[in-house]
Amino acid sequence: MTTYDGFAERSDPPRRSYRPEFSALLPYALPLAILVLWEIGSATGLISDRALPRPSQIIATGASMTASGELFTHLGVSAARALAGLIVGGGIGFALGLANGLSRRWDEVTDTTLQMIRNIPHLALIPLVILWFGIGEGAKLFLVALGVFSLIYLNTMHGIRSVDPQLIEMGRAYGMRPAALFRKVILPGALPSIFVGLRYALGIMWLTLIVAETLSASSGLGYLAMKSREFMQLDIVVLSILLYAVLGKLADTLTRILEGRVLRWSPAHADR
Amino acid sequence: MLIDELVLDRPIAENGAEIELNGVSHGFGDLRVLSHIDLRIAPGEFVSIVGKSGCGKSTLLRLIAGLDQPRAGQIRIGGASVESRKEDLRVMFQEPRLLPWASVADNVAVGLRPGENPDEVGRALQAVQLSEKAGEWPARLSGGQKQRAALARALVNGPRLLMLDEPLGALDALTRLAMQGLIRKIHALEGFTAIPVTHDVAEAVALSDRVIVLGQGHILEDFRIVRVAETPRGSPELLRIEQEILARIMG
Repeated sequence: MTTYDGFAERSDPPRRSYRPEFSALLPYALPLAILVLWEIGSATGLISDRALPRPSQIIATGASMTASGELFTHLGVSAARALAGLIVGGGIGFALGLANGLSRRWDEVTDTTLQMIRNIPHLALIPLVILWFGIGEGAKLFLVALGVFSLIYLNTMHGIRSVDPQLIEMGRAYGMRPAALFRKVILPGALPSIFVGLRYALGIMWLTLIVAETLSASSGLGYLAMKSREFMQLDIVVLSILLYAVLGKLADTLTRILEGRVLRWSPAHADR
Repeated sequence: MLIDELVLDRPIAENGAEIELNGVSHGFGDLRVLSHIDLRIAPGEFVSIVGKSGCGKSTLLRLIAGLDQPRAGQIRIGGASVESRKEDLRVMFQEPRLLPWASVADNVAVGLRPGENPDEVGRALQAVQLSEKAGEWPARLSGGQKQRAALARALVNGPRLLMLDEPLGALDALTRLAMQGLIRKIHALEGFTAIPVTHDVAEAVALSDRVIVLGQGHILEDFRIVRVAETPRGSPELLRIEQEILARIMG
């Protein structure tokens, strides 16, 4: 068979290469440097231990609380609440986003209501939520679900609406029935936007949970911080705050890995 | 048989569908785009539709493909309605319209009928000389490779009618020539009826058995191009037809 000159293949451009171990550690250099400066500041008396305990003391406290299991109990409780709220609120937001993205009629019926709900700062409902649910699990679940719902809803709907109409027409012309069209064209096309929603939702999820736990709870990281404040255990207060940073980063990293896998077809996500 | 050895004046397979348009009219709002088009295309014919921008050629293609419904008139493919022939006809669009999240092979498989042998994908990719890219993402293909993948998708289920909406418009001149040759050769092998729409008169003359000139919603002229064996591109005869068609389009 003839090879056509016009089809000559282009070779891939050479990629820049860092040594992998160095490039993997680079993002953590700055947080580490801040901890070191903080420790030096405390040791030289520049930072008072009464205002802000030094890192070494916080790490020691963390180690002893890890050994006693106390830290993991609170961490586990908080993580379970966060996840449950994300699943419930995200699930509802995803379902409504699909419905309103796919059907104009659904959109006309529900979107105005959903936009009004979305514009109420969900933390403003705390007094009402405490009256309804007391300080039990229901209150935290409700608040987290409400917080993540609107982000997942908006981004799912936007993702579905912005799927290339030419691809949809191609699918129809090639005989795809609605179910196949959704599975092969619409949902994959909406995924990048859904992931954006998920990453924002994770931030709101931690924020809401910590506020709810700080106000009223008998377990969890927020509760731990509040209880320690009463006993002036500043090291535990700072430890819980640092843990939020670690947990938030962890959730974001997991989402990025998932995103990289699912969206590996996209030039924006390839080779990361 | 090597496809390069084929004489191209007649398809070797007889697989094409006959197309019949009777009094087909269409428009958008008050704008009349096509009025009373009567057209008969024989099975296996390669018929280009040419005309200025806005002459209604793409609209005509969309009607035959069943993407839009005509306001009046009737379109029959192989003696049956367009809707009942959907699986027999395939469209190649101006843009490749590949699913970016599916591999090249999975994109080609979109053209299969449910339950059809997936081995056909490999064969179709081989026919467009893209086998080595089967596992690639579309984003990593060049413009010409994308259109070849789209061609493989259109051909994978052995359609009886292939419609092409200026599929080579965005390609560079060399890739374009190579694609023209490829399409004509696959047509010779498969014997489907082919209806490309183009504004490139030279391309239409080089590829087609017939060139239909569309203007103001009517068929202005219907040129039949008779080739003796393989009349080379740029022969005086073809150039004369080209001039004639251009003169007709420009009025």
